[in-house]
Amino acid sequence: MRRTLSLIVMLVLAGAVAGAQTVVTVAAGAVGQELELTRAAAERYMKLHPDVTVNVLETPDLSDNRLGLYLQMFEAKSSDVDVFQIDVIWPGDLAEHFVDLYDYGARDVAKEHFPAIIENNTVDGRLIGVPWFTDAGLLYYRTDLLEKYGFSGPPTTWAELTDMAKTIQDGERAAGNPDFWGFVWQGNSYEGLTCDALEWVASYGGGSIVSPDGTITINNDKAIAAIDEAASWVGTISPNGVTSFGEEEARNMWQAGNAAFMRNWPYAYSLGNADDSVIKGKFDVNPLPAGPGGKPAATLGGWQLAVSKYSKNPAAAADVALFLASYDEQKIRAVEGSLNPTIMALYQDPDVLAAVPFFGSLYDVFTNAVARPSTATAPDYAAVSRAFYSAVHSVLTGQATAADAVAEIEADVEDITGFPTGQP
Amino acid sequence: MQDAPEAPTPPAALPLDGEGGGGRGRPKKNGVSRLMRLERRTAYLLLLPTFLVLAVIAAYPFGQVVYSSLTDAKFASSQPTSFVGLDNYRTLFAMTIRRLPPKLDESGAPVLVDGKVRYESAVSVLPRSPRRYRQVFQFGLLGHRYVLGAVSADFVRAVWDTVVFTVVAVALETILGMIIALTLSSEFRGRGAMRAAMLVPWAVITVVSARIWEWMLQPTRAGLFNALGSYLGLSEGRTDFFGNPTLQLPSMIMMDVWKTTPFMALLLLAGLATIPAEYAEAAKVDGAGPLRRFFRITLPLLTPTLAVALIFRTLDSLRVFDIFQVVLGNQRYSMASFAQDMLISRRDMGLSSAASVTIFVIIFVFALLYVRSMKVDT
Amino acid sequence: MTGRRVARTRRRRVALRVTGRVLFWLLIAVLLVYLLFPFYWALVSALKTQTELIRTPATLWPENPVLANFRSVLGNDRFVRALGVSTLVASSVTLLSLLVGAVAGYALGKMRFQGRGASLYVILAMTMFPQIAVLAGLYAVIRLLGMPAVPSMILSYMLFTLPFTVWVLTSFFKGLPDSLLQAAQVDGATLLQAFRHVLLPLTAPALVTTGLLAFIQAWNEYLFALTFTVIDPPARTVPVAIALFTGEIARQEPFGEIMAAAVIVTIPLVLLVLIFQQRIVAGLTAGAVKG
Repeated sequence: MRRTLSLIVMLVLAGAVAGAQTVVTVAAGAVGQELELTRAAAERYMKLHPDVTVNVLETPDLSDNRLGLYLQMFEAKSSDVDVFQIDVIWPGDLAEHFVDLYDYGARDVAKEHFPAIIENNTVDGRLIGVPWFTDAGLLYYRTDLLEKYGFSGPPTTWAELTDMAKTIQDGERAAGNPDFWGFVWQGNSYEGLTCDALEWVASYGGGSIVSPDGTITINNDKAIAAIDEAASWVGTISPNGVTSFGEEEARNMWQAGNAAFMRNWPYAYSLGNADDSVIKGKFDVNPLPAGPGGKPAATLGGWQLAVSKYSKNPAAAADVALFLASYDEQKIRAVEGSLNPTIMALYQDPDVLAAVPFFGSLYDVFTNAVARPSTATAPDYAAVSRAFYSAVHSVLTGQATAADAVAEIEADVEDITGFPTGQP
Repeated sequence: MQDAPEAPTPPAALPLDGEGGGGRGRPKKNGVSRLMRLERRTAYLLLLPTFLVLAVIAAYPFGQVVYSSLTDAKFASSQPTSFVGLDNYRTLFAMTIRRLPPKLDESGAPVLVDGKVRYESAVSVLPRSPRRYRQVFQFGLLGHRYVLGAVSADFVRAVWDTVVFTVVAVALETILGMIIALTLSSEFRGRGAMRAAMLVPWAVITVVSARIWEWMLQPTRAGLFNALGSYLGLSEGRTDFFGNPTLQLPSMIMMDVWKTTPFMALLLLAGLATIPAEYAEAAKVDGAGPLRRFFRITLPLLTPTLAVALIFRTLDSLRVFDIFQVVLGNQRYSMASFAQDMLISRRDMGLSSAASVTIFVIIFVFALLYVRSMKVDT
Repeated sequence: MTGRRVARTRRRRVALRVTGRVLFWLLIAVLLVYLLFPFYWALVSALKTQTELIRTPATLWPENPVLANFRSVLGNDRFVRALGVSTLVASSVTLLSLLVGAVAGYALGKMRFQGRGASLYVILAMTMFPQIAVLAGLYAVIRLLGMPAVPSMILSYMLFTLPFTVWVLTSFFKGLPDSLLQAAQVDGATLLQAFRHVLLPLTAPALVTTGLLAFIQAWNEYLFALTFTVIDPPARTVPVAIALFTGEIARQEPFGEIMAAAVIVTIPLVLLVLIFQQRIVAGLTAGAVKG
């Protein structure tokens, strides 16, 4: 009798709990390890909050495909997904579809994260996304080749890099590797080129296309010099095909041992040290070189978590988002997945540094990273970037001069944003 | 030797020839016109499922595309939409031709580089307001240099590229498909397996086949074509198939022809199978050579199938999207990948819809041309 | 003619026939290489390790073939489930298209009525818009009707399989001699009976051909499937599943695995064609036409 009663009570309770179940759907990346980590984090959240079910959905990893998918959902004002993983350049353009996380308790945690990223994610005073993990451009270099050709250390200026690359390239080709090139990077006509080109221009002191206060600064001599120099690499120290390269194409050449230098994101580090990698243990990373009289610049990348305005449970969703981006969760992702955290304190955490030693050297890179002008040009950043990378691409393929291209970019961005022009 | 027998009049089997393949003229009596009415009603009934499907999945989307092409709608945005009439079309097709003056030095004489006159850059000559015109291409005429500018230079180039792509690719597919179909319609051992092998390119998933070709056409010797090229001494092994503007369209055409030739071949094979064997036998007995047999008997009888195959292949080619987006991305657009870029990165729904309607019109014109010209032939 | 000249002519004819055969088989070989080589390349790539894939110069056969890619793909139960979904969707689309297309094709090919030509153009017009243009509108319709992912894919794919099926079948029905139809009607069959027992078997080649092409086209579709199944992972089809293949780390693309998936996916399609290919060239049954 008592057993039946307790069974009934349990069923009723279970029914009550199930009836009050909130479902929060998170659209995250499809990447193997990342996805597993996110699912594990969701499990942990569900243990702490048994009345909430968290579903993790994979979306295509390519940024452009993901954006198209998200836009279809926003156009339909769909409430199917509550939390979105958004690229660092999307808060400005997509701000109208997300809630202000400051309304949901983000004020306390915001100061733990890198200020540059928080600023990037703040549109009109609203925090659109909580930083989740970050990325910045790095210079990869072959330590063994630098030693072989008598260089004391990695280059600190682009001119140095060009010289070193040429010497090593000539030497390696003479030694019997006709596929060897000096420097590989991302030169295809896409957002990745905006990242690379921004690094060249900013490191020359040529500004960041549009300054944070809304002035178009791209049309200056330093920017022209930077782009000209990059164009001179194509066919000399970089393969002709570099104008079709994305991150993976560059990494494939680098990891096959066919390049002396590579510009890429931190993800290539652990891949290069895989057991069957030809270059295992033979490379290291450094901040990117600077232009004459300039400072090294790395483009800020990374992903944030944002809560949809069309969600049926914004409070629960915001809670899930803030949990996923919290100190402990980011630490787990750093240690197990080598994902760069956005919380500054984690770069001094002994466990993290033990697992991923080179994170320590990355701290300075992240604090000094250059953000693309996505927030300043919101909601038209995608169009601005397109104008920028297609013009730079035409210089790289020899179809236009840098001076003409830069003038075109200025005119285009003026048309798109209506901002005034000026000097950096 | 006698001439090959007259090619039999092919049945008027092109769908739009004449008015319905029904019997010869019926005598007009009351009973018969009732039959005609019954026939008409049955026809409408038979067509009902098709139009039902059409109504559900095509009516609203198509209407929406046409409507939004007349507005300044922004995709996934709360910006208010207003009716702008044909503005988007004007933006797409606004073109101008300007003359490029030669570059002059201080004394007013033209600057010469390597013996050739240098011209001012197009940016300085093309109008900038109220709308910016961008260079599409430059050309020389009667000793002067001109630049064709357009507000949507990418779109104008995309239209040209897509049409060229379509014409060349469809021509190649047809010829190749015909060769394959003829080969496979003759008797030989392993014919069945060959027919299965023939469909392999069509069966490979489009995005995956694009990746396979991308991998084979890599600009370094990690790619098959460059590795072979350098092995055979034809090239340095550094040909950039997708970055070199001259090689881009040929590479796309090669990829597309490989993928879609089976479509043509299979349709033509099925078409060949419906040609009664007696015709070819009779011609052989009369001594006609294989080539003659082909052109005077096989081809005319194959025309209806060929016409349908051509229409649909051309239609698909004009709408080509996958391979251009995966491989060329933003380097070079087809009309459809341009429409997508407008929608996703510029979020300009009005312009994207106008581009889509343009695609529709161009395809419609091609379809009309096919039907007219094929009809004349038969 | 003298005996020697007869012998020479005969030898020449034999030589011509032999050369003809040799050239024929050469042509077959060239065609086979052209059609199958990229698939061979996919197979070879699937057997290579990641390191060997990026090596220069490229190799025609892996040095140490590994089955790891195949194992990982087949062990990925999302992919295996996607195979089932794709089969379901593609078969349904094909059957529906053939059914609807056959009746429509009969009407348009053999009957006289007003609006015949216009109907054909309207049906053709369904495929004249690029996919991206209709996607937003379709998505809205799907959400309005509250259709789950699989039926919405089946219905959307009809957008490009139906016009093709209708036109091909119209053309075939039209090409069939009316004598058959009239003979059957004289024998007392109704229009519908004539359709089922006389015309349909004769159009088997056309049905099989369009069926195969439509099946594969539906199998290949990516954009609509991606958009409709984003919130419904179990309903994902094979192209979407492959697109969601990624390596262990962001931005990494597991080319070997994608190639393994491509190989695994193509083989059942080829088998399907092998089963049906005889029907494609079945041709007209002797006797039916001569009557």
